[in-house]
Amino acid sequence: MASAGKSYCISFQNIQAALSTVKPFVKKTPVMTCSHLNRLANRNLFFKCENLQKTGSFKFRGACNAVSKVVASNQDGPDRELSVVTHSSGNHAQAVSLAAQVQGVTAHIVMPSNSPAVKKEAVKSYGGLIVECEPTEQSRVDTADQVAEKTGATMVHPNQSPEVMAGQGTMVFEILEQVERVDAIVVPVGGGGMLSGISVAAKELCPHAKIYAAEPKNADDCAVSMARGERTPLPAPPVTMCDALKTSIGPRTWPIIRDHVDDVITVTEEEIKAAMRLVWERMKLVIEPSSAVGVAAVMTDKFRKLPANAHQNVVVILCGGNVDLEHLPWMSQN
Amino acid sequence: MSGLRAPGTTVMEAQRVTVQDVETAAGRLQGHARETPVLTCGTLDELAGRRLYFKCENLQKSGSFKFRGAYNAISKLVSSTNQKPPPVVTHSSGNHACALALAAHQLDVTAHVVMPRNAPQCKKETVRGYGGKVYECTPTEQARVETMERIAAEEGAVYLSSSQHPDIIAGQGTMGLELLRQVPDLDAVITCVGGGGMLAGVSTVMKSLNPHVRVYGAEPEQANDAATSLAKGERCPLPYYPDTIADGLRINMGPVAWPYIRDNVDDIITVTEEEIKNAMTLIWQRMKLVVEPSGVVGVAAALSDSFKAREETAKHVAVILSGGNLDLLKLPDLLSMSEHV
Repeated sequence: MASAGKSYCISFQNIQAALSTVKPFVKKTPVMTCSHLNRLANRNLFFKCENLQKTGSFKFRGACNAVSKVVASNQDGPDRELSVVTHSSGNHAQAVSLAAQVQGVTAHIVMPSNSPAVKKEAVKSYGGLIVECEPTEQSRVDTADQVAEKTGATMVHPNQSPEVMAGQGTMVFEILEQVERVDAIVVPVGGGGMLSGISVAAKELCPHAKIYAAEPKNADDCAVSMARGERTPLPAPPVTMCDALKTSIGPRTWPIIRDHVDDVITVTEEEIKAAMRLVWERMKLVIEPSSAVGVAAVMTDKFRKLPANAHQNVVVILCGGNVDLEHLPWMSQN
Repeated sequence: MSGLRAPGTTVMEAQRVTVQDVETAAGRLQGHARETPVLTCGTLDELAGRRLYFKCENLQKSGSFKFRGAYNAISKLVSSTNQKPPPVVTHSSGNHACALALAAHQLDVTAHVVMPRNAPQCKKETVRGYGGKVYECTPTEQARVETMERIAAEEGAVYLSSSQHPDIIAGQGTMGLELLRQVPDLDAVITCVGGGGMLAGVSTVMKSLNPHVRVYGAEPEQANDAATSLAKGERCPLPYYPDTIADGLRINMGPVAWPYIRDNVDDIITVTEEEIKNAMTLIWQRMKLVVEPSGVVGVAAALSDSFKAREETAKHVAVILSGGNLDLLKLPDLLSMSEHV
């Protein structure tokens, strides 16, 4: 589906290079299976457990790659304190904090002042320096710019940075060592960093494998964009339990998604909650709602109707497991 | 270990499980039980002051290590006869019930499971979901045993205890074989202890194949019969049914498991309810694993001052996360309010 000769902001070679860069830092997470879920989906499901990745989500891969680039590009430079900055309160914030810490780099994390305490604590525990901003998109961006200006920190965007996208793609190499024949890969989509990285890597390494994006219906900008053939960001901040998937796909990830993704499957909040509970109860894995989106997707009628012979072995990315254990979606107070 | 019987031993000791029995069990389990992964966690290593290797039996079939013993025992039963194998029966409200039902289903054997009326609904449903026949009874030890004996007689069923049968002990021992392969330079192993089947099996393997590996049991302070027994040199069951959030460990260490533990185990570490809750928070929050309270008692032990004092130099310690079957709605009561990092 990719147009020949089209250039994207990342190439397969970038992802290959990212693999050797991030290897010393990231975990090669296990792929797990569950007979019960196979019976429910009527497929062979292979779950790539990025909830078991360092900092609790796949974001650590992209963060490591981005931070390594900052270190590498200063190799012959003066011996000065290197730093990175990002605006995120979620998994990317934690990932960048630890990625920076292990490479001796300072991480400035711009977070809204009203971020939950548990998220602020997590960032601090990984050595991130929090810079608070107003809870608006504008304030986040402006504050990050100010920090970059003041400290000389390099900006690491959560999903539009090519180094981040390439880092996320490294999981495909591992998957192909762990799963004998991959017919399809189901990937949750927010900003599209992981989906793009995986798409470009898979196109080269397992070109016959179908790529499906999984998205909350309540935040379906990717689905709408694919249907219209034109990037269509969400008109307003979405209401979904999937904290990590509230961003719309961006200008750099869109072309890759447009050209590589076979289809987008959207799921309701109820389907997401049910899938999350299913994984906790049957697979004994703690996954966050965003991870459940891929699981919910393979249980939909739409996915079931896909031809069985071409979709026997399906890889589902369990992208993260950072949840507030005191506020779970199935507890009655929610 | 000679043929002589020391005073106080019973005839059951003559059927002592050997490491060969465990290796045979491993052959039966191949392709049926999972060789579960061993996972590590930097944060927990820091807290423990050493490398911890978590054997994830919460990821085992039926959600706990009990599947190993159940499958081994039933598989042996099936191959011991050319006739249609007899049904099996047990009384359990917990993981053994689920494990037995699933193993029986896979081996095409009928499982009759006596469960107390107040057993968690999810466990009754799980057993039924695996094809087991559930018989409810009043929640007393006596009612469980009487009902079980009645069913055994009526159905011609073979009784498989959750922890005191040699084939069950041999099945649990297979975790020891896997650990020796999965963890290079193993210094010590910690397993939780309820009836003692797992500790009996795993300690047999270690002392036979790699005697320098120290073996520890881990127990709630509130259900510390095994620790007391080991200290006294004689089995001291608690006369009451103790209260602890580690519900799988409430039962007393049994008479068959006791001699193994007496002979092979280096020590039994006891932990408070608070230590168990703290371990729950760490495992769920940091390792993203669903593990039930009984399953983290070994973790609490590994992080305890008494273990650290006992094992100052051990660098590589394996901890078995025994299972992950719990009612998710009860989770808030099982975690500590703030992480004691």
